[in-house]
Amino acid sequence: MLHKRISQFLIIYFLGLGLLLAIKYCFGLSDYVIPGFTDIKNTAAAVAAGYLRAVLDTLGVAVIGHLLAIALATVVAIVGRPDNLLGTMIKTAAYNLQAYPIVAVAPIIFILLGDGLPSRLLIAAIICYFPLLLSFIGILGEPVASIEHFYVMTGRMRWQLEVKIRAFENMHKLITVVTGSATLAMVGTIVAEFIGADSGIGYSLRIALYQSDMAKVLVALFLIGVFNSLYLVALELLGLVIQKRMGVEQRIQQ
Amino acid sequence: MLLQCRNVTYRYPQGDALVFNDLNCRLADPGFHGLFGPSGVGKSTLARIIAGEINGFAGEIKRRDRAGILYSCNTERLPGWSSVGDHLTKVTPAAHLPLLQELIRAFDLGSCIDSRFSQLSLGQKNRANLTRYLLQDFDLLIMDESLANVDEAIRKQIIVTIKKMFPDKYFLYISHSVAEVATFCARILMLRDIHKSPQLIEVAGRDHHGDTAMDKAALERTMLEIVHAA
Repeated sequence: MLHKRISQFLIIYFLGLGLLLAIKYCFGLSDYVIPGFTDIKNTAAAVAAGYLRAVLDTLGVAVIGHLLAIALATVVAIVGRPDNLLGTMIKTAAYNLQAYPIVAVAPIIFILLGDGLPSRLLIAAIICYFPLLLSFIGILGEPVASIEHFYVMTGRMRWQLEVKIRAFENMHKLITVVTGSATLAMVGTIVAEFIGADSGIGYSLRIALYQSDMAKVLVALFLIGVFNSLYLVALELLGLVIQKRMGVEQRIQQ
Repeated sequence: MLLQCRNVTYRYPQGDALVFNDLNCRLADPGFHGLFGPSGVGKSTLARIIAGEINGFAGEIKRRDRAGILYSCNTERLPGWSSVGDHLTKVTPAAHLPLLQELIRAFDLGSCIDSRFSQLSLGQKNRANLTRYLLQDFDLLIMDESLANVDEAIRKQIIVTIKKMFPDKYFLYISHSVAEVATFCARILMLRDIHKSPQLIEVAGRDHHGDTAMDKAALERTMLEIVHAA
């Protein structure tokens, strides 16, 4: 799994890098626009340690923001699951809000909360929150009649059991959604840092942009890709462990 | 009397056509009764109306105790996070735990009790599902093709066992086997096409308990009566 994720990233990264170098040599662009391979290598050696710390900082914020979004989406989806007034209101609000490019409110968050950790965390969380919420509402709001029928008939159905049945039956979907939203959390954090924060790899990218230093940008992209892949692999492994413990694997194998 | 349906008229929410038109039926005495009719005539719909799962019909349904009517069907599944045995134990009221062991033996479920539901054969799945319903407190259990995919020999054994173990309960057995309902059911509610009047008629079954030899000529007469009534 790790091997596959990292290989996929490396293939895409080096294809992109190759394309840039091809453009550079085809059009005779200067090193100032697109640096040569040696420049990139030297820049990597110079900034790797600092960028590594920045990426880890960003990843930490992204992971916490992601966890917050998962927790909040779970709670709201459970509350908004029934077909009552509250549920309908929550679903309508979620569908309408997710249609708005939420990243556009990031400047407001920076104005209100400053350029520190809370702003980065909040932006990371809200960017991955709405896709998670919509999926969670869809999954937890959809009855699994073939299993729930018995509990309803015999008066045993409780909301906790209902959520457990629906989550268990859709465990693969939930894990896919959570893993997919991890990249959004990383994107949210980087965007937040890029817009207004004073730390993290997004902030380093902003400085590299102001310096028009593409070599630094390429090094940052490499580290972001590697660590994002590692985070996705960690989530997939966690998903496998959960499925195995709950017996989902045996069910799927049949 | 446990149940009486009077002038029940119903159409599906999405459709214009009537499913039932002034339908009347009753279950007066305990026992193993059948609900028989051609495919698509509305047997499951009627069963779900009786069980209180479907509303929005005209007419009246009198039930002695709505909570005492259970509806089971062959598409149900047990949750996959525990073994069949664990699930059955968990959903069995404490007073019925000895009955659970008896049913496991009678329904030949011993070999799959430690397995997950998804690992069972279709027949075992239906037997496990039926078992958990039989363990509940009920007056009437509607068995909507609950023994589909079960071997014929085991199916007969299960029906005979149910009749022996629950003589005071009501059962409404939905099956597509004329021979089966004719043999084992006391009363057979024949649900007919909407254009036939009355839409539901009652036929007396042989109510066989498995302890005596079957009168084949009488069974054939009952089967003919059912086929003609349909």
